[in-house]
Amino acid sequence: MLPDSPLFSYARPSTLEEALALLERYGEGANLLAGGTDLVVELRNRSRRPEIVIDLKRVAEIQPAITLTGRSLTITAATSMTDVQENEHVRAHFPALVDAAATVGSIQIRNRATLAGNICHASPAADTAPALLVYDATVNLTSARGTRTVKLEGFFVGPRHTALQMGEIVTSIELPLPRERRAAQFARITRRRGVDLATISLCCMVEAGGRTRFAYAAVGPRPFVVADESGVLADPSASDGAKDEALRGLIAHASPISDVRGSREYRAAMLLVMSRRALRACIEKLRAA
Amino acid sequence: MTMRIHVTVNGTEREVDVVESTTLLDFVRDDLHLTGTKECCDLGECGACTLLVEGRAVNSCLMLAAEVEGGEITTIEGLNENGKLSPLQDAFLAKGAVQCGFCIPGQVMAAHDLLQRNPHPTLDEVKEGLSGNLCRCGGYVQICEAVLAASEVS
Amino acid sequence: MNPEPIGASERRFGGRGRVTGEQQFIADIRLESMLHVKLVHVDYGHARIVSIDTKKAAAVPGVVRVVTAEDLPQPMPRFGPVHDDKPILAVEETKYHGQPVAAVVAESKESAEAAVQLVRVEFEELSGVYTVESALAPDAPLVQEPELRPDDPLNHTNVLNEFRAGWGDVEAATADVVIDNVYTFPMITHFAIEPHAFIAAPDDGGVELWTATQNPFQMQRLIARVMGLPVAKVRVHSPDPGGAFGGKQHPKYEPLVAFLALMTGRPVRLLLTLEETFQEVRRTSCRIHARTGFKNDGTLAFQDIRGDFLMGAYADIAERVIAKGSYLACGPYRVPHARVVSRALLSHTTPSTAFRGFGTPQVSWAHESQMDDAARRLGIDRVEIRLRNLPRKGEEFLRGDVPADGDWAESVRNAARAIGWGSPLAAGRGRGLAVAIKAGPTTGASYAIVRLHSDGSATVLAGTSDMGQGARTVLAQVAARELGIPIESIRVVMGDTASVPFDLQTSASRSTVFMGQAIARACAHINAQLREMAAELYGAGPAGVTVERGVVQLTGRTETVGDMLRMRFKDVKGEVIGLGSMRSEYAPDHPLGGAPHFFEFSCTASEVEVDPETGEILLIRHVTVADVGRALNPQHVAMQDEGAAVMGLGHTLMENIILDGAGRISNLGALDYRIPTSKDLPLEMHSLVVENGDGPGPYGSKGAGEGGLMATAPAVASAVTEASGVVIRDLPLTPERVWRAIQERTR
Repeated sequence: MLPDSPLFSYARPSTLEEALALLERYGEGANLLAGGTDLVVELRNRSRRPEIVIDLKRVAEIQPAITLTGRSLTITAATSMTDVQENEHVRAHFPALVDAAATVGSIQIRNRATLAGNICHASPAADTAPALLVYDATVNLTSARGTRTVKLEGFFVGPRHTALQMGEIVTSIELPLPRERRAAQFARITRRRGVDLATISLCCMVEAGGRTRFAYAAVGPRPFVVADESGVLADPSASDGAKDEALRGLIAHASPISDVRGSREYRAAMLLVMSRRALRACIEKLRAA
Repeated sequence: MTMRIHVTVNGTEREVDVVESTTLLDFVRDDLHLTGTKECCDLGECGACTLLVEGRAVNSCLMLAAEVEGGEITTIEGLNENGKLSPLQDAFLAKGAVQCGFCIPGQVMAAHDLLQRNPHPTLDEVKEGLSGNLCRCGGYVQICEAVLAASEVS
Repeated sequence: MNPEPIGASERRFGGRGRVTGEQQFIADIRLESMLHVKLVHVDYGHARIVSIDTKKAAAVPGVVRVVTAEDLPQPMPRFGPVHDDKPILAVEETKYHGQPVAAVVAESKESAEAAVQLVRVEFEELSGVYTVESALAPDAPLVQEPELRPDDPLNHTNVLNEFRAGWGDVEAATADVVIDNVYTFPMITHFAIEPHAFIAAPDDGGVELWTATQNPFQMQRLIARVMGLPVAKVRVHSPDPGGAFGGKQHPKYEPLVAFLALMTGRPVRLLLTLEETFQEVRRTSCRIHARTGFKNDGTLAFQDIRGDFLMGAYADIAERVIAKGSYLACGPYRVPHARVVSRALLSHTTPSTAFRGFGTPQVSWAHESQMDDAARRLGIDRVEIRLRNLPRKGEEFLRGDVPADGDWAESVRNAARAIGWGSPLAAGRGRGLAVAIKAGPTTGASYAIVRLHSDGSATVLAGTSDMGQGARTVLAQVAARELGIPIESIRVVMGDTASVPFDLQTSASRSTVFMGQAIARACAHINAQLREMAAELYGAGPAGVTVERGVVQLTGRTETVGDMLRMRFKDVKGEVIGLGSMRSEYAPDHPLGGAPHFFEFSCTASEVEVDPETGEILLIRHVTVADVGRALNPQHVAMQDEGAAVMGLGHTLMENIILDGAGRISNLGALDYRIPTSKDLPLEMHSLVVENGDGPGPYGSKGAGEGGLMATAPAVASAVTEASGVVIRDLPLTPERVWRAIQERTR
């Protein structure tokens, strides 16, 4: 290897068709780059050694855009976290996503990182995942074979592992607009107040009709969403004890581990504490609205 | 194998051959010899390598040089005009925000981006805007004061 | 007369280049035909090197050499600031996670990086010593070979040294209450934003080095010894370090790059990654068992302290850290009977070295937490109990040593006032206050040369390192004051052993006192020569001439020094050269080898709010008070103290190197080793100074800049106790640790 020989080659397709053709040609030897804030670190430390890096940011079909289309909001794959945070539609209809996006790294990172990249990276601790999950996000995928849509819930398969198949590219994320009044609350525990990876993170959503959902990250192999089938959580007449019991039922789906960011016991305890707080915040927001 | 990229660097158009896997940080420091942009963590955690791409602060260690094709980058060397310090640079000195100085180019670039987008930030907004730039010498107090002082000048 | 520079917040010398990017750090220096070095590590703590296969790596285009221990002089040269124990590359085994076993030298860093991946190191995992307990276990593996210390009776143990201090008779002492606790202080990394970097080049039969060191003259001597060169043939350039904090005080890879430069005949450069930097230096961790006796009125009856300090695989300067910390392990208090026994324990971990506070944060964590425990037990206010035990200025408190050199109670009262001690507290909140004391420099020498040029401007040559603390600025202020010239007309030259005179090192907050005095004396030397010059020029007796602050006065004549110099040097030109020094000799009978020239006394007070459900701590207000004698540059003092305070909040709240069972650092790198950000600041922060002009430095100054972190942990912990009801004796106070303590109490 000569000093001027690259570790990988780089392509900058301008259409989806070109990008898919490259992906077809290189298969597993290709890595897709959107914001690059996760990928470039892995390229540097050589935990990824692709033949080619395909930069998707010039692909015409996925240029940064957040559009309201009838019943949903579509966020294209090249849209940065900063754009998501600042977008008026996101702020109006999906405020918990704004709060979650605001915790992804520093401003420098959010200026590059994309929402699509955050979910494709499929970190068990992905901070935007809980918000997207409670908002019922779906992921639009394209390949040479055509397009398909998967629910985000099914998109996360395991740590760093998604339902993306060989030759597929995420083109956008879609969020259905609310059908009824609702309130959502994002919450997390970190080791410091500045930029940090979550020890746990979660999002709660309560709908005026009484449906309550929670989504969690950093407490299992993949972010996941659970619904309160009992209806107790949104029931104003339910006791704190009954609510705690219902919450414990939801949290039982988590399988936190111990690592340098926190122990299993602490994570488990914080799941209950922060779930309680998020639920309370949602109910107060609904009442105030 | 190298590829040719076209990029406006601190206001000057450049055409440079670059190894495809080169990060933007290495490109700026090793190829353009603009060493004001610093390397520390190589993970996007410390902010020492902050520069502006299309006017927005980014961690240059988290980008490939090839990504800036056709675009514009501004490094710390591009902030002062005709040898005169920008109000922000001057405020950093006046307020005692500078100690060893290693983090300072990154801090100044992050602050520059912040003031471009929010010319009169609150203290909390300054803290948020600079939370991606670590400083180990100072207590951040003077850096925040400097940014607030610069916001009053502009 | 020029404006008074002393006490003025002069702008930083060298500040401009730091905001424009022009300031050159080591990594910014480019030499013609420079080669690039990368190190090869094994991912294990203590391991036996079975074989190293460098063939594939050597075949990588651009690779010039792959060097292992076998390629270096035999026996392998060893080095260290006190013990010559550290090999240039690992020999036979690695003794800590990250110790390099080979080095690749290549034409480009890309080639070097590629080749490093191809070096195959076969190693056998060995059991290691990674904690105080395992270092002391009867069957503990020995970290260092006994042959390294043939005359040491402890050479068959992991105890490198045992430091003892004390007075009175602790066994016989009686107390009304005895507080008995164990405290731990974790491994902390310096995390200077500039990772360590080294350049070496062959130079005219010798070697030239570029390294961001706080100690260029020690480096020069050490490289000369290791390489068998005269001192004069080793030139050390030490550009201003990008943060140091003690971590850049002693040699790391300078001997390696020096050998590589001579082996290849070309300049070589080694830039460590931040991860490699973390693996190279850290603060000494410890376990301190404190048994403290009190009378019912809160006065101390005795202190019985056993410290076990975990140093790394090589001694570095850790023994000195342990000795200086332990000497003041009873704090700044009157203690009738004291016994301190501290062991310096070797372990298979990153060598521990100097780090801001130099052992003081570790011991203050114990002695201050003991004071709080006693106050709670005896029902005495926590500020009051301290005031009852603090010596008055001039009072002996370390038996047989120099007395208290400041009005320390004044610092405590100021801190208490600033934090609102005694005023009502909101629910969930608490306040704490703690003090700490560090022995300033004991021995050493600083030399300065001041050159007064014919136009009245001056060049100051000083061997101090300006690593951010602002030494260059303060030293210029001293020269400006003594020569009576504007500070703008002064240049301060540092960082080159071939052009500036000897300085012991930049450490222990010594520069303002030692180098400041040396410069003041060099200026006095100049003024003496100016008196003679005036006498000669104007035909007066030297006794009738005064030269003060740039003004020459003799009977019937007053003129500026500048005017006189212009006249004197009109034709043949010239300059006036002043020499000055401050020396303090080694005192073999003193436990520290010399009495401290001053004490750095510091008081910290903090108000926090604790979330009882999550354990999260919110810092409401944080106050530091530093007794600096005189603040020569108040802005510089504030930036140092506030920086120290935030650094202290790091080790108090979040910082901790975590080792796994194999001695590997689990949180290696910036992602999981967290330091405070701008958002982790207290909501309010105040740094106050006490200025009584009672220091040994110029204008009554004392050293400053370390104090702000010395009492942070006990102050914050005390506030946490008041807010939450739990007492925690292990750092850092992570949300999880606080939560656990609250859980255990509730149980």
